[in-house]
Amino acid sequence: MSGAAPAEAARWPFSAAPIPDDAFAAMQRANLARWPTGAEVDLEEAFDFHRSLPSHKNLAAVMRRADAEGRCLTQPRGGFGTLELQLALMRQLDREGLADIVPTTTDSYTRNEQWDRAEAGIAESEAAGRSMLNGFPMVCYGPKTTRRLIEAIDKPAIVLSGTSMPRLTGEIGFAAGFTGYLGSGLAYTTSYTKDLSIEDGLRNYQYLDRLTAVYQAAGIELHRRQPGFLTGTNIPPCIAIVTCIIDALLAAGQGVRNYGLELGQTLHLVQDAAAIHACRELVQEYLQRAGHHDVFTPVTSLHWMGAWPYDDAQAAALVAYGGTLAAVAGAVSVTTKSTHEAYGIPTPEANAHGLRATRMAIYLARRIRLDTLPDFQQEKDLIGREVRPIVDKVLEIGDGDAAIGTVRACEAGLLDIPWSPNRQIKSRVLPARDADGCLRILEPGDMPFPKDVLAVHEEQLRRRAERDKVDFGRDLAVSSVYEISETLETLMPPAG
Amino acid sequence: MTGVIGADTHIVGNRILSMALEEAGFEVIALGAITPAEDFVKAAIETDADAVMVSSLYGQGELDCRGFRDLFIEAGLDDILIYVGGNLVVGKQDWPDVERRFLAMGFDRAFPPNTRTDDVVEKLNADFAARAEGQRIAE
Repeated sequence: MSGAAPAEAARWPFSAAPIPDDAFAAMQRANLARWPTGAEVDLEEAFDFHRSLPSHKNLAAVMRRADAEGRCLTQPRGGFGTLELQLALMRQLDREGLADIVPTTTDSYTRNEQWDRAEAGIAESEAAGRSMLNGFPMVCYGPKTTRRLIEAIDKPAIVLSGTSMPRLTGEIGFAAGFTGYLGSGLAYTTSYTKDLSIEDGLRNYQYLDRLTAVYQAAGIELHRRQPGFLTGTNIPPCIAIVTCIIDALLAAGQGVRNYGLELGQTLHLVQDAAAIHACRELVQEYLQRAGHHDVFTPVTSLHWMGAWPYDDAQAAALVAYGGTLAAVAGAVSVTTKSTHEAYGIPTPEANAHGLRATRMAIYLARRIRLDTLPDFQQEKDLIGREVRPIVDKVLEIGDGDAAIGTVRACEAGLLDIPWSPNRQIKSRVLPARDADGCLRILEPGDMPFPKDVLAVHEEQLRRRAERDKVDFGRDLAVSSVYEISETLETLMPPAG
Repeated sequence: MTGVIGADTHIVGNRILSMALEEAGFEVIALGAITPAEDFVKAAIETDADAVMVSSLYGQGELDCRGFRDLFIEAGLDDILIYVGGNLVVGKQDWPDVERRFLAMGFDRAFPPNTRTDDVVEKLNADFAARAEGQRIAE
């Protein structure tokens, strides 16, 4: 598989500092030459197109406005293997789903830079009359054709391309007129790749962030976004937020000024609200400390990212509750799922339905906030006590450099991600759900959490083990992976 | 041998399956996420594996698994037991139909989403026992 940073990158020393102009220009030429449609990218033409877009089709502006107005926007995910299917999907999400932000998910071949396979997938999809790819092969179609997606909707559009090789997809997406791009070096390299080195993953996203800064310099602000949901499997807020801080420091280092932070829902109302507040504050704290005083960092809440129930009724409850959680927690946007989630990729109808159910829940949440609850303050304080020692350690062993510190901390296991597919991540840290439904750390691995903090986690998890009459150990972590997907008969059998 | 095929990164279920197989007394070679079909075959030759457990969760399993059995036959591993499981196709499709498609591709067994590890271990034990009796898989 390709994906390593290009050879010429070796000329630019690895650090959190901006990529030098000449090195970036050379990399960009080599990058665009990797697939024929790269030749269609013309930055001046792209700038003109972006300038012609109304501000309600620019995601950076839309996020700023929603934050100022205290609104919670809705956004689904979605991508199909042909232009026609993708046009129909995006129109339906825009018009029937009332999506505030319209997505284009790329297929997994495109994400992994296997464009020849994606090309074959288009042909197979056309022949089969249904999508054989799990997303839209944006690089194969190229920026000119892909722009038809932007022209088909009256909302801002974001690229969702879950992996660590965003360099060509980013060029094509921005040139096509997308104004948002989800993905980051630390989060995606640890969660979506197996063999890519952490350094190469960070370099790849430094390229995308540097490209975003090039648009910024031309007067076009684009929204970059960090996927703090990581492996989507019971990620406790503290681990997500550590990655948000590091990726935000790296993006700001390249010149990004509009950087969203995503947090997967724990499904505990208070823990989620505390996490969303703590995330924004802690990210700002570290950005300010690094001298980045003008980075806008709205938080997006994500519907449950773990295994979903198969029962439509149970899944519908998760969809609606996810809207409540996001709105009450004060998230600037929520990314939605649907009742089809357990089965895989939803139909456009089910996807639009998930958006509408979420929207109703947001409406009902109105201005209800939890900030004054003692439990909220306690949880938020706990998150701060978990996050700071880890981030401080990363910066310390990087001699103050977030990029170098991240690579060293991953090697040492000081920075660790639960259930990571990447071989360079120790993945010794194990989360589980406690008796109250909060996500906690069962085994810290080598992460330097303070003893008093771990004692809180252990006490809560021991309470669960006692209640469920199971041993305090790894089975708690495994059963927590499946818990939310269990049937109601298992979760809550009839009384009596 | 366990692994997630193609460009798919969904490792959690496959890792839990690997843990359960080890606990049940099997020697497990875990190839992890994002494993090309050819790598399964290479590893099967190197480790003299008896069974291959393929996961796919991201919808493109139908493309990734085409010709999977043929690769083993070409390598002279005609008899190796091959299971597949997960969310194997794009979207919500009728399971018996999906199962038929994967059995026709040469998989010995296909498991729907939400299969628990106990079921897989039980089937694997039964199939190994049937093999000792000269059958391909247990009834």
